[in-house]
Amino acid sequence: MATGGPTMSGPPRWLQSALRCVLPARDRETIAGDLLEEYREEQAPRLGFAGANLWYLRQLVSLAVTQLSGGLAVKKALVAMSLVIVGAGVWLALMENILRHAGYPARTLVAAGIAAQGVATLVFLLLNGRLIHRLLVMPGAAALLWLGGSAIVRVLRAPHFEGFVLLIGLALVVQGALTLLFAPRRAAAALDREA
Amino acid sequence: MADLLGTFEQAVLLTVVKLADDAYGRAIFRELQVGLHREVAAGAIYATLDRLEQKGLLASHLDAGTPLRGGRVRRFYRLTGVGARALNASKTALEQMWSAMRWPLGVRP
Repeated sequence: MATGGPTMSGPPRWLQSALRCVLPARDRETIAGDLLEEYREEQAPRLGFAGANLWYLRQLVSLAVTQLSGGLAVKKALVAMSLVIVGAGVWLALMENILRHAGYPARTLVAAGIAAQGVATLVFLLLNGRLIHRLLVMPGAAALLWLGGSAIVRVLRAPHFEGFVLLIGLALVVQGALTLLFAPRRAAAALDREA
Repeated sequence: MADLLGTFEQAVLLTVVKLADDAYGRAIFRELQVGLHREVAAGAIYATLDRLEQKGLLASHLDAGTPLRGGRVRRFYRLTGVGARALNASKTALEQMWSAMRWPLGVRP
């Protein structure tokens, strides 16, 4: 199959259905047709079906990322989440300093870091996400993802349920994921504008 | 410089010009990769086509599909007057900047 001519077979149905799900109604037929044509005429004869399916999957992911990160809705969500994160960080820092349980200085530092990441993300969005800002924001987003995830796991395993920790943990995970998804495209668009 | 087109945007517009009446999604996808000598993700190309159309630099219309694409319709693109002016302006601006340089650029030791 690797060097044959065009085929009339296509990618697996589930991949084609997934593609239709990620595309806006306006482009559903046209882009699906373009990719099917490319799959049949070029990719499958050249790479074989397994390779062509992998190629199709890569295009599907790139289109999904474009749809998710290119929209204004994601930016608005990221701005809202950043504000929530700043508020949560400040609130946590204040509570730690009021209650002063053992080890509170370290936890205050973490809370301040959370607030700082929220502020950094807002600045990143405000300045149209240049590369240098992305380098500052992305590691922080990964840290938020880890912090939020471990907080959720800890709450779910603890004998006493603490709802506010779960909420903050979820907010951190959402904030981290949105930033990791949105920041690279934002920075790429800024670079293209500057080119 | 704020209104100048990005490098990738210029590549997409020039590909549309080159393909003329055959400038539909998949043809642009293929020709662009040949022109740039690298693989380009579908997401990047379609997002750029969409953005350029929204800016008025490209116009599009739908036409019939073929059996190879399961009968799905094709979207054909063409450069608008605004697009031609934007491409010309980008080329002129860059050429003016390059004209002040000795090419190829040397590297100081």
